[in-house]
Amino acid sequence: MLTLILETAVQFIFVILSAPLFAGIFARFKARVESRRGPSIFQPYYDIFKLLKKETLVPDGSSILFRYVPYVAFGVYCLIALIIPVLIPVPIIFTASADFLGGAILFSFAAFLKMAAAMDSGSNLAAMGVSRLASFNFLGEGALITVFIAVSLITGTDNPYTTNQYLVSNPSANITLVHVFATLAFFMIFLYETGKIPLESSGLQELGMIDESLNYEYSGRLLAVNKWSSYIKQYLLGSVLLNVFLFPWGLFSTSPYFLLDIPVMIGKWLLLIFIVMIIETTLAKVRLFKILDYLAVAFTFSILFLLLSEVMH
Amino acid sequence: MNYDSIVYLISASILVSAFYIQGQRYIMSMIRGQLVQSVLIAVASFLLAYLESSTDLLILGLLILILRGVLITYMLETRMPSRKSYVFEEGVNVPYLFLVDLVFIVIAVFIIYSIIFSSLVPISQPGNSSTLLFPLLLFFQGLFLITSRRSTFTQIVGYVEEENGLVLLAIFLLPVPIIIEASVFLDVLALVVISSVITVEKATHERMEELRG
Repeated sequence: MLTLILETAVQFIFVILSAPLFAGIFARFKARVESRRGPSIFQPYYDIFKLLKKETLVPDGSSILFRYVPYVAFGVYCLIALIIPVLIPVPIIFTASADFLGGAILFSFAAFLKMAAAMDSGSNLAAMGVSRLASFNFLGEGALITVFIAVSLITGTDNPYTTNQYLVSNPSANITLVHVFATLAFFMIFLYETGKIPLESSGLQELGMIDESLNYEYSGRLLAVNKWSSYIKQYLLGSVLLNVFLFPWGLFSTSPYFLLDIPVMIGKWLLLIFIVMIIETTLAKVRLFKILDYLAVAFTFSILFLLLSEVMH
Repeated sequence: MNYDSIVYLISASILVSAFYIQGQRYIMSMIRGQLVQSVLIAVASFLLAYLESSTDLLILGLLILILRGVLITYMLETRMPSRKSYVFEEGVNVPYLFLVDLVFIVIAVFIIYSIIFSSLVPISQPGNSSTLLFPLLLFFQGLFLITSRRSTFTQIVGYVEEENGLVLLAIFLLPVPIIIEASVFLDVLALVVISSVITVEKATHERMEELRG
């Protein structure tokens, strides 16, 4: 029981505290590849602390939704951090509260809340970004859910921990056609959801912004919370990609050794950052209306191999 | 070595190449996609020739490589107007095409799986009748490519894709029916003649325009 509580605490605190670090490492590495010196890897923390100290401005006419949704969304991401295998590969205390699809639906719920709050600000630019997000998400969320169904067809269960165990104990399952293409589809979704370069370049440029528009009217403490929760979201999606799809091995579950999961997870993330960095520095950003094409490809892959997984049984 | 999965891998790659062709706007990439698809089918033929130690399949693979891989690609490329890398088709809505194509495929899988497989005798080696699904899916995708586009070159590529579906069906059925081998020749002949004529005439064919009074 003590181990269980410890594992839960370690996973929760690690996810919440280390999520901005990976964004910092990514920014630093990317800068080095582009021959810049780049910011410190702790820059996201400095940004968050700076914003926490600043004054918060709320647009005229916005309702209670605008002021409290950042905290609710942060809470939703914290809940997801407890129910999917992002650090400890065995179930922890709150794991039983939702399965894979539950996690996907919580992601959608947080996205919906943030969109509603951004619309509530009454800003035209935020509304533009929200309408983009809504028209892209119908394919993105569809592909996300289909990928999870495809994974559950491989293992016969919808529990991400079982999937992780199954992939670790059956290495050949990692190179089946269905798994490879589900991984590919989920990786494409990961790039989209975290706003990486073939789809969206970070920074507040109105022309191509999608996710950034959700933060457009926020300032001070609320902006800090919003930024932090998007770092957590990136960490959660990336860790699912690593632990369930791409590289399920190497995590420890017995009592004193589960602390070793922290360096293992950081190592895995360095691998993922390396892959994403190669993509970010070699590809150009696609035009805005091409993003639907990209998502259609991801959706096609997920549906096609959902179908093939049934046919080949 | 599990040959079953290799056959599945090649079949699934052929299906993906059909989606690639469907999603292209530029004619040249479509022709290259057709080339890749034909080469993949030839590889499938060589693999099965090795597994079944069958000379028929070896010859069929060579024929596919020469006729479909080299001849048709060369013929289509020489028919293209000048500055051929820039020739593209307007009004290609990729998400819409992909979604409709997926709907076709899902329905086709259900129909083919529930009706046809009870009567066809599958090839012995892959051990599973579901390989026969891929040729029929390829055939339907070729049909959809023809109906969804207006450019003549695209329609020829769609026609080639349909033929590829037939050839793949012939490869997965044992013994290889002689009629299909013969039809490969005839099709190539007809394709070269017909497409030479119609691409010289005009580059796009609207729906039903020849039949209107």
